[in-house]
Amino acid sequence: MSIMPSLAFTPTNGSSAHEPFLKFFDCWLVEQNNYLQELISACKDYDRNKNNTRGSAESSQATLQPLINRVLGHYEHYYGAKSRWAKKDVLSMLSPSWKSALEGAFLWIGGWRPTMAFHLLYSKSGIQLEAQLHELIRGIGTGDLGDLSPSQLTRVDELQRKTIREEKELTEKFAKHQETVADSSMVELSHEVSELLRSEQTDHEAEEERVESTLAAKEEGWEEILQEADDIRVRTLKGVIEILTPIQAVHFLIAAAELHLRLHDWGKKRDDRAHRGPH
Amino acid sequence: MAGICCGFVGESETTATVEPTSRASRRRRLELRPFKLVTEVAVPPSTTLDITPAKRQKVELCPISLSRDCGNALENCKRIEENKNNSISDSSKSESVKLEEVAPKFGMTSVCGRRRDMEDAVSIHTSLTTKNTSFFGVFDGHGCSHVAMQCRDRLHEIVKEEIEGLKEEKCVEWKRTMEKSFAKMDKEVEKCCAEGDSSSNCRCELQTPQCDAVGSTAVVAVVTPEKIIVSNCGDSRAVLCRKGVAVPLSSDHKPDRADELLRIQEAGGRVIYWDGPRVLGVLAMSRAIGDNYLKPYVIPEPEVTMTERTEEDECLILASDGLWDVVSNDTACGVARMCLRAHKQSSVPGSPGSEAALGSGAVESSDKACSDASILLTKLALARHSTDNVSVVVVDLKRNQH
Repeated sequence: MSIMPSLAFTPTNGSSAHEPFLKFFDCWLVEQNNYLQELISACKDYDRNKNNTRGSAESSQATLQPLINRVLGHYEHYYGAKSRWAKKDVLSMLSPSWKSALEGAFLWIGGWRPTMAFHLLYSKSGIQLEAQLHELIRGIGTGDLGDLSPSQLTRVDELQRKTIREEKELTEKFAKHQETVADSSMVELSHEVSELLRSEQTDHEAEEERVESTLAAKEEGWEEILQEADDIRVRTLKGVIEILTPIQAVHFLIAAAELHLRLHDWGKKRDDRAHRGPH
Repeated sequence: MAGICCGFVGESETTATVEPTSRASRRRRLELRPFKLVTEVAVPPSTTLDITPAKRQKVELCPISLSRDCGNALENCKRIEENKNNSISDSSKSESVKLEEVAPKFGMTSVCGRRRDMEDAVSIHTSLTTKNTSFFGVFDGHGCSHVAMQCRDRLHEIVKEEIEGLKEEKCVEWKRTMEKSFAKMDKEVEKCCAEGDSSSNCRCELQTPQCDAVGSTAVVAVVTPEKIIVSNCGDSRAVLCRKGVAVPLSSDHKPDRADELLRIQEAGGRVIYWDGPRVLGVLAMSRAIGDNYLKPYVIPEPEVTMTERTEEDECLILASDGLWDVVSNDTACGVARMCLRAHKQSSVPGSPGSEAALGSGAVESSDKACSDASILLTKLALARHSTDNVSVVVVDLKRNQH
């Protein structure tokens, strides 16, 4: 797949991000699904070659790496678009309507929790390890995620601890910013506007301007926090991929895409059911 | 901090690779193994390895041959200090020195796993007092990490001071020595908590009262050429693999252990079931270093076991409950010994290969083996959904390593 239809979506002046980002996201999901198919067939090819030819490790690496780069590029493309839209409408990026309620429940600052990457890695690695434990005990490498080497596990562990730290720091910043909803300027302003409403005065222009500027400052804060959160997400994803061998990275990206796509499907189904009511 | 290390990774140019032929023949040999259920008697566990996951379906075996990825360079542990200035010189010791010139080989893994805080710590010091007395400790903190860290940084020094305070190392009364050391360690922790430390960057920031509610398990193995002395406080565990059989060298201090329950009640405490048995409904272990607020119900006194080493000893595994909660003693021993054996078989010197970076000559290979064993056990714990930090130390006890 060489062209990304999702590239066609760019933010336009003055519009809310809701509608166009929904379209972008749906398009991006289709692309993710296509990439998933590519990853799976690359994985199958790798398994086939591994049994047929010797010394094919280098050649399969050569074929896998460009695919991994393209998949990573696809993720970056998503975050690039998200960042541009966030400048227009950060609030809809924080409570994305294009995600199902189920996905929404798992969100951390408008996206996946960065430390989730390690749980995904450990879970997938565990499944592959259990499947080939006998080989691994005998020192026969399986090459997949069950076969993480000591140095890889060390690096994963270090990256995980760093990510936890960053995630905690940003969560703290997020909490502080949320608390400003009741800071004195907000409380004062809400009181003054309420008084005006009670006095039945019609000219609120000055107050409305103050409301605008106060809320704009809040939005700026959100934008900064969302940007930082997305930065951690991208850095974590790339960091994990960097530690893995190409075939391990392919396994990891498959697991990530499968989880993301299925969670979305399941959530959508549940939403539909909820909207239809109990019958 | 690098969480994984292994001992004695040499710079030997000798390499060891598994050649397809030897691998195939090894597989043939190994395929003969699963006759575990043929008879109920006379089949020593040494020939079997039950890797059925504790809580999951049976494992499928699919033999796949694949060359090992060459990126597996091991990292040397920087924390290991060789104590070359051996101050104790005693002619009567010469015999034991001859018995084993080098300290045992080991591998260590310690990871955060699926938890959000890292509260495990591991301490390894070969040549603690003499060249052939080694110290291995695993500490699993709770409340915060600083007590486990203090144990990691200090307990071996305290033990060393205790031993050196004695006239002759040969006459070390280990039980008393270890009990005194644990008591001193606990005092240090208490003192540090009372005085506070502004430089600390741990979660509790060493502020009372939170700081009072911090503690750590401690399982320590001192390995001499003749003996293995295991001192345990809490629910980390030491298991010896002897002739394929798992022999626990420590007994977990759980509040519902009959003798511990009695001790707690006699001291005036209670064990309350709150997500399992807990001392005063709080702590899920009955002994620990630290935990000032739970004294005298929770005590820092270790239980010490002394085990004479035999030719049949294969390895010693020390680990935090992150491993033991999901991997049985038998499985852990089976995995560790298979790893060590597989390595011994695969060390074919002279064949060029991808493991060159590991410096795995015939002698050094068992260090890689120990490291592989510790990492495989760690990965197995993670695979079995361990939700805790996982720390594993594997010590090779085979004497014919030269």
